[in-house]
Amino acid sequence: MLRIGVSRLLQHGSRHTAASAAAASAARAQSSAPEKIEVFIDDIPVMVPPGTTVLQAAAEAGVEIPRFCYHERLSVAGNCRMCLVEVEKSVKPVAACAMPVMKGWRIKTNSEMTRKAREGVMEFLLINHPLDCPICDQGGECDLQDQSMTFGSDRTRFLDTKRAVQDKNIGPLVKTIMTRCIHCTRCVRFATEIAGVEDLGTTGRGNDMQIGTYVEKMLMSELSGNVIDLCPVGALTSKPYAFTARPWEIRRTDSIDVMDAVGSNIVVNHRTGEVLRILPQVNEEINEEWLSDKSRFAYDGLKRQRLLYPMVKDSSGELRSCEWEDALIVAAKALKSADGSVAAIAGGLVDAESLVALKDLVNKLGGESTCTEEIFPDAGTGTDLRSSYLLNTKIVGVEEADLIVFIGTNPRYEAPLFNARVRKAWMYNELNAAIIGPKVDLTYDCEHLGDDPSIIGKLLNGSHPFSQRLNTAKRPMIVVGTSLLARPDGGVLYSQLLQLSQKLRSGCEGGAEWRVLNVLQRVASQVAALDLGYTPGVTDICNHPPKVLYLLGADEGAITRDQLPKDMLVIYQGHHGDRGAEMADVILPGAAYTEKTATYVNTEGRAQLTRAALVPPGMAREDWKIIRALSEIVGTKLPYDCLDDVRMRLTEISPNLTRYGEVEEANYFTQASALAQLVSGKQDTTPIDVPQKKLEDFYMTNSITRASPTMAKCIAAVRKEAANRYIE
Amino acid sequence: MASYFGLDKLVKAVRIIRNHGGIRGALYQLYRVDDLKDGTLVGEDALGNKYYENKQLLLGRDRWVIYHPRYGMDYDGSLVPAEWFGWLHHKTDKPPTEVAPTSYGWLSGHTENKTGTEEAYVPYSTTKPKIEAWVPPKRI
Repeated sequence: MLRIGVSRLLQHGSRHTAASAAAASAARAQSSAPEKIEVFIDDIPVMVPPGTTVLQAAAEAGVEIPRFCYHERLSVAGNCRMCLVEVEKSVKPVAACAMPVMKGWRIKTNSEMTRKAREGVMEFLLINHPLDCPICDQGGECDLQDQSMTFGSDRTRFLDTKRAVQDKNIGPLVKTIMTRCIHCTRCVRFATEIAGVEDLGTTGRGNDMQIGTYVEKMLMSELSGNVIDLCPVGALTSKPYAFTARPWEIRRTDSIDVMDAVGSNIVVNHRTGEVLRILPQVNEEINEEWLSDKSRFAYDGLKRQRLLYPMVKDSSGELRSCEWEDALIVAAKALKSADGSVAAIAGGLVDAESLVALKDLVNKLGGESTCTEEIFPDAGTGTDLRSSYLLNTKIVGVEEADLIVFIGTNPRYEAPLFNARVRKAWMYNELNAAIIGPKVDLTYDCEHLGDDPSIIGKLLNGSHPFSQRLNTAKRPMIVVGTSLLARPDGGVLYSQLLQLSQKLRSGCEGGAEWRVLNVLQRVASQVAALDLGYTPGVTDICNHPPKVLYLLGADEGAITRDQLPKDMLVIYQGHHGDRGAEMADVILPGAAYTEKTATYVNTEGRAQLTRAALVPPGMAREDWKIIRALSEIVGTKLPYDCLDDVRMRLTEISPNLTRYGEVEEANYFTQASALAQLVSGKQDTTPIDVPQKKLEDFYMTNSITRASPTMAKCIAAVRKEAANRYIE
Repeated sequence: MASYFGLDKLVKAVRIIRNHGGIRGALYQLYRVDDLKDGTLVGEDALGNKYYENKQLLLGRDRWVIYHPRYGMDYDGSLVPAEWFGWLHHKTDKPPTEVAPTSYGWLSGHTENKTGTEEAYVPYSTTKPKIEAWVPPKRI
């Protein structure tokens, strides 16, 4: 029953052979096979390319064949046998997911034989499946439950005892109830093929088969939560969500994730003013159907350490909660008396609407410095040209590339879904990868070129051994991490990279359409902030401290209270009490990303909209409204009264900010590279480093995740796992 | 004779006004408790409230308390401590000045009703709040 699955397991680690890749990506290979063959699904004629499986041909005809083990993004296992269908003139029913169609086949998906086969398979599956649907978390969204209702028998003939399997502990995120497992091996294939951790597998055979890690260990992956969605039964469920709600009582709101700069599409599941869980939503251009663990499980951080009331420091220096009116008047008085000496710092979770409102307010008051916490070099064209700070090839572009070089970044933890896409291209499209920076595990073969920053210069002048491969690459990609650009010599390195990319671009096969240079941003707000004209980095504020400093969700400690003069008034607006709120004199509580309808621009430059699932808690309000209200009290009323007006203002500044779902392409590489040649400066010799090297560095990167107990548990579990002697 | 002309009432009124410290004091008392009564001082409690009795008055109006001036108009029935409560409400005819109340070590002192003040008793919720607020760190 498990032969194919096991043979696939044995293959893992090695590069996929052309045959298996073709089988898994039969749909992708369609374009290269022009001649189509005709098959009949329930007498409906369909033209499909050769190599298409029966299941895919049926989908083409609009007939859905029941399945458990088959998943379109995973390799074909063919072990659940639920997709058995009758093919005319064939003695036995065939497994639709694994059988390629032949010319003229007449497939019957609803014949007597098919129905009998399904009923039989269902009966076998239910032999060892516990009847605990009433207490199962999968109840209501369970494939087995649904399909047994549709295709199963209405009575049982099984009088024996059921098998029981010991539950496995695979970490703080995924709860296992292994008795419910039907051995579809989707989780095993996901871990091996997509997450790239070869921890899950099967042991034993027949009735004794078990899915697990063989020795007890944690599923050490940043994508482990996806096995919960993949599991067709309730064997793998979410630990933080356990026993909290039923799917039919949940409200769902489509939204955008802000934990990294990828901008994954999510569905916020909520009820009674609480986020209950976050699920991915399919977006082929961004996250496919996966979601990183941080995005999926950090939602409990939205319920802790929240700023619920405005606060003002009293005479004794303690922050005390007060009414909105009091806080706004204190802030407005300070802003007015500052006489233009006002500056703002924006953090990583801020939306474009509040960014534009704050920038307009500061500029109207006469202040010039509006900064972001993330640093980007000012050398050359700096952030003047959009192409300099975007992931220009887009996330899907990775699938066309044949060589990718990561410089000063660890995409596995900075953008897990981008890394999953690179892994996909590495598996199926012969993409090669190399990395300059610390040696990190990216889940695929990656040539480590060293961590010396002078390598970049050597690649530019062609003296490095790797230059040969870079120059002969047809569609090379250079992915630069923002931690590299934050170095003191980031400007010099970046100007070298601009020139290198331009050189490769002019030489490569992709031509002018192909973009080589890619910047992988780490925070969700950065691209929107740069589009709106924020200055990256806070050096300006450190050098010329203003009288009033407005922190908009700035929690990463880019500036500390000790660096600022004593008499400066710090206003903090945000949703979590973190480093920013601790140093503030006035606190204005804002809304988190699940509580506002707001624009975020991802690292590709794609504007997307989060939707308000909940109302902001306590007295917190939507961020742009706070700034708008404050502006009226200060006396410099901002000219927008509703969200549409703010969006008009966004469009006025940069039209791409309101073209939702689309990537506005950026160009001017030639100009940027020409100006980069003028940049000169001292180059450091300190090795290139990235802040997130190991899995434990992944979980806490912003104020929401720092407040999340689940993320804390993950870090504790990963640290504890280091002591596990079964891990090499 | 005097009673025939109602002069005794006048004498009584003058006496009452005098006992309340003249016209000014009497008017204040009238304003404060809406009543002017003549009675004998039975005792005083720890808070400084004074207890009076006048047996000639109707039952129910014959014993009363005048709260300590520091309470002003802000007095409340709960200012009467337990030991005087019984006498005031005719549970007993022996005021605590005559028969001292039994005291036990475990008895706590009298507290007034704090409703409507900052110290009002608020029953705590046994359910965890859905959203936990950030508490600013205390400065030392």
